[in-house]
Amino acid sequence: MTGWRAWLLDPAPRSPLQARLGQAWLGWLRLSRNPLALIGLLIIVALLVAAALAPLLATHDPYVQNLAGRLQPPLSPDHWLGTDEFGRDIWSRLVYGARITLYIVALVTVTAPVVGLIIGTVSGYFGGIVDTVLMRLTDIFLAFPRLILALAFVAALGPGVENAVLAIALTAWPPYARVARAETLTVRGADYIAAIRLQGAGSGRIIFGHVAPMCLPSVIVRVTLDMAGIILTAAGLGFLGLGAQPPLPEWGLMISSGRKFLFEQWWVATMPGLAIFIVSLGFNLLGDGLRDVLDPRGSSK
Amino acid sequence: MALIEIDDLHVTFDAKGRHVHAVRGVSLAVAARASYGLVGESGSGKSTILRAICGMAPVTGGEIRIDGRAIPARRDRAFARRVQMVFQDPYASLHPRHTIDRTLGEPLRIHGVARGTERGRRILRALEDVGLDPAFRFRFPHQLSGGQRQRVAIARALMLEPEILLLDEPTSALDASVQAEALNLLSRLRAERGLTFLMVSHDLAVIDHMCDRLTVMKEGRAVEALDHAQLARHDMKADYTRELFAATTERIAAAE
Repeated sequence: MTGWRAWLLDPAPRSPLQARLGQAWLGWLRLSRNPLALIGLLIIVALLVAAALAPLLATHDPYVQNLAGRLQPPLSPDHWLGTDEFGRDIWSRLVYGARITLYIVALVTVTAPVVGLIIGTVSGYFGGIVDTVLMRLTDIFLAFPRLILALAFVAALGPGVENAVLAIALTAWPPYARVARAETLTVRGADYIAAIRLQGAGSGRIIFGHVAPMCLPSVIVRVTLDMAGIILTAAGLGFLGLGAQPPLPEWGLMISSGRKFLFEQWWVATMPGLAIFIVSLGFNLLGDGLRDVLDPRGSSK
Repeated sequence: MALIEIDDLHVTFDAKGRHVHAVRGVSLAVAARASYGLVGESGSGKSTILRAICGMAPVTGGEIRIDGRAIPARRDRAFARRVQMVFQDPYASLHPRHTIDRTLGEPLRIHGVARGTERGRRILRALEDVGLDPAFRFRFPHQLSGGQRQRVAIARALMLEPEILLLDEPTSALDASVQAEALNLLSRLRAERGLTFLMVSHDLAVIDHMCDRLTVMKEGRAVEALDHAQLARHDMKADYTRELFAATTERIAAAE
């Protein structure tokens, strides 16, 4: 066993950092035993790499039009995924589109689950009237179909990537609140919560320091599984012309503009469709794997 | 004057419209630095009395006084510094995602005492006091045995240096061999720090080993209060106490 591995698996860690990293390493070992999860992780890493190295990976400028070379089929010289109706290279647009997809994913992940976690834990911890009010509010948001509510928000706020993200975040938090609340209800009666309350801890410290860490794994799993839906919603808004605006290389928008040529020049809509499909699949596979690693019910025993 | 006084305590739980009268008029007094036992079968309301002291059970009558003063309705930080509790199940009383360091440091953090390196020293000293190796400091509870976990729970209860320790069957979840160690640890800590114990057990032998005085409980009522000498002389008045005592001696005889 090499030195760093021994350090990570040391049964008597010497610092909080080493203890945390050791636990993370054990989680990674569990995850790496699941080949499907690894494929998912590989896809996500590929997405990250594509977004980070877009200028290097792209063969053309994604915005430069070339009307002489429009609608060229895949594997044509110089354009291996073909070109769209303005003669723009589809591969380059997909690679730059990864940035937009990642941007949407990142913005939604830092808003919706955080809001959901706070509302869910507060609701579950206090119970009573607080619970009733917050949960009925959640019910109201849950009662609307996500895409319809997002459409209404975008219609009110105007189209654009940021507004699409805001609309998705506003409609995505209720399931996290439900998950966090359910988890909080099982945790709040636990002896370790009673013990910390007995030490004189305030509600804020108990909720964020002691209850929330117990809800976090379920929420993280839920987020990765929802990511596919979020990407699809963003693409759907783009497709309907309410998300990203032309000439941005957003994948949903690209499908929308390729729709007109679907029968004669199938690749214009199919390539971005495949990209959405692969990335959604990647998040779903990773989510399933993470559930096995993080779910306290599945792994602790 | 007694340190803990409980006067005609009533606790009634409201479970879905059904009233459960768990404690029915129990009175007792625990002298400072004494060790007082509550014994009875499960459901006799003995643990509920401890929970009532901590504000975790609905008191519907009577009064609990500490040092002659009624305890505040909301248990505040000052209360936390005087009274701490050790729970029955060491598998449930430690936060599963916090290291031992965090679990022991949390009380210090809440009360804003012992900052920086002093906090680390206090944690190491606490581990040493309960007979745990410093190597345990950054482990997670699932890496510890039941006995080790209960030592951590005891260390946590003592972090704020309270004068009163409430013990809710502190050894019943442990193996017989570990039980004795934990009880001896508690006795030693009490002697060293002048703690006052209020201890609950269903096991008369444990109470006999640990406590100077005890109250036998049945169905929410105090059946009889005895001191150690009376117990040793078998000088008990209630039939129920005699039954309980006979059952315990039989069990010990069977074990030997």
